[in-house]
Amino acid sequence: MIRLELENAVIKYGDTAIIKNFSLKVESGEMIFVTGSNGSGKSTLIRGIAGLLPLSSGKIFRAERVSYVPQVEEADRNFPATVKEIVLTGTQRKGKLFYTQNDKKLAEKFMKELGIFELSDSKIKTLSGGQLRRVFLARALCGEPELLLLDEPCAGLDAESHKILFGCLQKILEKGCAIIMVTHDDSDLEGIKNSRVIEMSNNHE
Amino acid sequence: MNEILEILSYPFVIRALISGSLISICASILGVILVLKHYSLIGHGLSEIGFASLSISSALKISPMIISVPSVIAASFLIMLTKAGDTAIAVASSAALSLGIIISSLTNSISNTSSFLFGSVLAVNEADLIFSVILSFVIIILFVIFYNRLFLITYNEDYARSLGINTAFYQIMISLLTALIVVSGMRIMGTLLISGVIILPAVSAKNLASGFKALIIISGVISILAFLTGLIISFIFNIPTGAGIILTNTIILILTRAIKTK
Repeated sequence: MIRLELENAVIKYGDTAIIKNFSLKVESGEMIFVTGSNGSGKSTLIRGIAGLLPLSSGKIFRAERVSYVPQVEEADRNFPATVKEIVLTGTQRKGKLFYTQNDKKLAEKFMKELGIFELSDSKIKTLSGGQLRRVFLARALCGEPELLLLDEPCAGLDAESHKILFGCLQKILEKGCAIIMVTHDDSDLEGIKNSRVIEMSNNHE
Repeated sequence: MNEILEILSYPFVIRALISGSLISICASILGVILVLKHYSLIGHGLSEIGFASLSISSALKISPMIISVPSVIAASFLIMLTKAGDTAIAVASSAALSLGIIISSLTNSISNTSSFLFGSVLAVNEADLIFSVILSFVIIILFVIFYNRLFLITYNEDYARSLGINTAFYQIMISLLTALIVVSGMRIMGTLLISGVIILPAVSAKNLASGFKALIIISGVISILAFLTGLIISFIFNIPTGAGIILTNTIILILTRAIKTK
């Protein structure tokens, strides 16, 4: 089943086209690694797919349930919120205003899988960068995504956290979710079955 | 004690007490979102536009609400939706303040200016009381219904948009409610000081709260405490109500900061 289809997509910042005539088709259970040098448009591409940047031209079809994990640097670390409060927001959807018991169970499940359950009531400002990345991933997984978008989720992760993250990603791939991950680290590209690498170049096509 | 009982026997005091308490609670709830989204200056900008509109309505001898409500709402939409920066807000508020002062001077209504700027409990009439009760009820109901959404959007608007949520709707809602609370509160608290009533309790509560819900509750409690104390101070020392409330809020802020750094 197709989870994402981009056809001749163009994404601009002001008058400058960062992504030009880009096409991509992603099936369920498939993992796409997006690599490339700084400024090659990796994050722009993923933000465009997430619906945060409009397509100037071209077509996009994306699955109904999409979860996006931004770079941890984008987070407001001083926001007065606990881990549990942030993770639960991943279950929100258009037209759904209240959390159900099932939402709370999902949040608990993914916090346990990612080894952050003990931190449920901790303020987010007390977390390390690696722990916050796992909080964002748990939040994204709570939405039971059909398409998961990850912007450099491994930066700064220790070996143990890296292993937990990839174990978790493998499981959701097997359930039919498609994943697009921006990465700088070549070691990320190994160990996931059914994966492809797209290298972004400076002409962004 | 007898003095307080005597004060409470005046109908205008009872009106000010009910209206001010409700406005204080609602202003502090909205303040939490504005502070966390780094929009703290918005209340200040809107209140000075409110001052200009009060001066115009006083000069034209018409009900202040007729001009204040649409002009402050329009200004709030412009500020929030265009994401106007601090400089644009500062320019607009200075211009509005000077316009208000010029109109008051030219129309010889400058005697009202002190009451407009710093607030007066005498300013609350029955229509104001009804407006503030209805507005507060609406704000509290909306916060209960949209609590989870407002938390998400306040923390990370981009993430909310990626979930397909219409964040512009919530921005308009917050703009509208902020504008209405400024208009509703500016005559009792003062146009120069209503922004402090919105922002200060949230800043103080941030020093004590661990989570978002706790922040809203503590902010509300601080706000009503500061209002009641400020009102009593203003009666005892015969000073403008808004000044008494803001002074109390400032002392609370210093105390909470001291508790935090302990």
